[in-house]
Amino acid sequence: MLDTRVAQSTIDHAIALGADFAEVFVERNQVNNIATLSNQVQDIASGIDFGVGVRLVYGAKVLYGYTNRTDAEELRRIVAELAAKDRRHPAVSAQAFDFRTASDAHGAQRTLTQDSEVRDKVGYLFTADRAARAASNLISQTQGACGQREQAVEIFNSDGLHIRDTRHYIRARLQAVASNGSDQATGMQTAGGLLGWEIVETLDPKACGAEAARQALVNLSAKPCPSGRMPVVIGNGFGGVIFHEACGHLLETTSVAKKASVFHDKLGEMIANPVVNAVDDGTLVREWGSINIDDEGMPTERTQLIKDGKLVSFLADRVGAEQTGLPRTGSGRRQSYRFAPASRMRNTFIEPGTASFDDMIASIDRGVYASHMGGGSVQPGTGEFNFAVTEGYYVEDGKIRYPVKAATLISTGPDVLKQISMVGSDFALATGMCGSVSGMVPTTVGQATLKVDDILVGGNA
Amino acid sequence: MVDTVEANAQRVLDKVLAAGALGDLVVQEESALSLKAHDGELEEHKVTSTRVYGVRVVKDDRAGIAYSEAADPAALDSMVEQALVNATFSRTDPAESVAPGTTTLVTDDAILCPADPTSAEAKIDAALYLERQLTARDKVRNVPYNGVQDATVERHVFATSGRTAHSRDRVCSAFAYALMSDGDKDALEGVQWHTRRFDEIDTAWIVDETYRRCVAMLDGEAVPSKHYDVLFDVEHQADLFAVFHDMFSAKTARDGINPLRDKVGERIAVDALTIRDAPLLADGLGYSLFDDEGLPTATTTLIDGGVLRTLVHNSATATHFDAPNTRNANRSPRASLGVGVHQLEVASGDVDETSLTSGEYLEIVDLAGLHSGGNPVSGDFSFGAAGFLCRDGERVRPVRNITVAGNFYEMLNRIAAIGDTPHWNPERSALMARIRFADVAISG
Repeated sequence: MLDTRVAQSTIDHAIALGADFAEVFVERNQVNNIATLSNQVQDIASGIDFGVGVRLVYGAKVLYGYTNRTDAEELRRIVAELAAKDRRHPAVSAQAFDFRTASDAHGAQRTLTQDSEVRDKVGYLFTADRAARAASNLISQTQGACGQREQAVEIFNSDGLHIRDTRHYIRARLQAVASNGSDQATGMQTAGGLLGWEIVETLDPKACGAEAARQALVNLSAKPCPSGRMPVVIGNGFGGVIFHEACGHLLETTSVAKKASVFHDKLGEMIANPVVNAVDDGTLVREWGSINIDDEGMPTERTQLIKDGKLVSFLADRVGAEQTGLPRTGSGRRQSYRFAPASRMRNTFIEPGTASFDDMIASIDRGVYASHMGGGSVQPGTGEFNFAVTEGYYVEDGKIRYPVKAATLISTGPDVLKQISMVGSDFALATGMCGSVSGMVPTTVGQATLKVDDILVGGNA
Repeated sequence: MVDTVEANAQRVLDKVLAAGALGDLVVQEESALSLKAHDGELEEHKVTSTRVYGVRVVKDDRAGIAYSEAADPAALDSMVEQALVNATFSRTDPAESVAPGTTTLVTDDAILCPADPTSAEAKIDAALYLERQLTARDKVRNVPYNGVQDATVERHVFATSGRTAHSRDRVCSAFAYALMSDGDKDALEGVQWHTRRFDEIDTAWIVDETYRRCVAMLDGEAVPSKHYDVLFDVEHQADLFAVFHDMFSAKTARDGINPLRDKVGERIAVDALTIRDAPLLADGLGYSLFDDEGLPTATTTLIDGGVLRTLVHNSATATHFDAPNTRNANRSPRASLGVGVHQLEVASGDVDETSLTSGEYLEIVDLAGLHSGGNPVSGDFSFGAAGFLCRDGERVRPVRNITVAGNFYEMLNRIAAIGDTPHWNPERSALMARIRFADVAISG
């Protein structure tokens, strides 16, 4: 995508100005997004993002610039502008490029550049819409979306790295709206992965529509949620957002290196209940948060974060590794050429255990079963996090009683990890988008159903 | 052909017309300097410039969009062709068209993009100052989030009708969030400052205010779960309204997911509540001379004395509902035609600040989970929160680890009082009198 001589010239210029490390990140991102409203196509948006990001590292300082242009003059101008305050005699030499193509572990087939397959995708969404409406005449509306993108990246750096990779992302979802005339409620079903439109071969649009409708109808009948501290059983799949928020962000060297994480000095210590084993794995075949190489060109890997309750690793990008002395984990990620990379999660999950769902519910005198979770956020410095319950039930005397709405769970990472007392075996993964310092990146969360003994539930009852 | 925005726009629109379609083009150019400090040195120094073209075509009552960050003739031609293809799949919609007219609107740089003498070195010094001064304060462990930015955004709208519009907006920002620790207690608090001239930023105030907020919150604990009267600070009151902006959207009404779609002309809030969209308040950073169809904006009263007067419209929703176009078209180069509030104004009430803060109430100064904890379709929300238990205007004690929950649309009918003083939120995107909400569920 970028003339090698232009890349070499840019990096040579940066090194000549005294940078310890220089990198050129080139991205071409082709996008096709389809939105439906009931049984009509609302709009289709397609386009191409293209740009070049230039990163210079002087000690612990990161200088970053980007442009849509690919000529040597523009890139050298950016380098000169970035280095204006830091230029010094060269400290290192730039290595000659050794070109490689990243090994592809995922093998996308029905790719966007081959065919956007609009009719097929629309057909999928319309089938899901019909299934949702067939569930009840209270389903008043559906909104479907199918987004496919093909992100080609090319990375050059002063260590001689020159590597290319192409990521194929696909994601489809349906939101159903239930209305009884006075109140409205929603339900959502989403699927996605690091592959092409062949994902449709593994999906059932009728099941997708029925599930979105089921959630919306449950929520329409939900009562205000009781509040206060209580035990909560968190459902599998997207329930794993609890670990993502409560712990995952706190293990990124982006926070750890600044000592802005409550876990920055806990490596090797017990930070969770011994039933907790947690992993961040970029290698899972065709999963939404997987990558072949990270956005610094390093092959990704599986990183065990917590083993039997003990913190055994952080997630480190290049700069984070240099600042902390920890090994890189193939976790340097960014949304696009507009962002410098940072240590980020990939597919992050708590490994399954052996507890039964029935035993978890039966152990609760007064609590909540949060079967579906929404998104959340965390303050790494204090570990305080929150996340939303999108489908929940009040539990009393060991039995699920009635659905509840408008609930949020809040706690701190260190606290909630110790409060996880039971982990089930019904492991599942779910797709999400994670926002942080290097933008929005696809991430997968996952877990089996698990029980948290004590957490603050924010409700409206 | 000369590679200018105008020449490229002409090429795009000529191609649209040649295809027998109508269309408009939004071009957005951004340039920015962004700086962050850590351990007394610059940690990040970012210099950026981008341009993106986004075309919307309307042919045979079907609309299609496409965008490109490349501006060579082949890329622009391909963009138009892709938009035309996309249109063939879209629903037939006689309401969607291209706004007629040939007006040309241009913003005044003296107002929206003023020059100031601040050098790049001075901006670097400002970033370093924020971090250094805060780090030196007692109990401050570090300043994990800090920085200064200077960004200029140029926005162009070109339509096949001949309508054009151009704005150039500058926004300068500085922020600092410090992590304070004292034994096993900690607090992460901070403030931000946004303005159009860098030399208006008071970095000393940012340092002092951030430190003051950390100290104030350090001993925060939960309060008992019950219903309280609640006052949000202006920043988070504006954030709360922003979560539910879609309540004013004629597009979500048309899509059947706006619960207020049939409420125009009906009472939806207490008598004291009047809300306007005020795009021409030049003190605000949400100032908009024109909308994204290139049409001139004006003040629109949305709620008047508790009665919903109108939703916000673009030309398509106005045609669909046979309603006046409020000129609230909203379209990024990458997106289809939507609607959006330019600059929300909650009109001042008649309650002075002393009366507004009488008795016991919770002052909420932080909300967490705004992106996930609110549902505009149902109005339900539940957020993590922090603030102060107050009595008669005095902060009695800091409060943390609580949640605030309810239904926003119901809360509009449980407003106890509206203050008599307008305040800009820190982002200067909303001008609001403070509202005292009654009987809000707090969990601690």
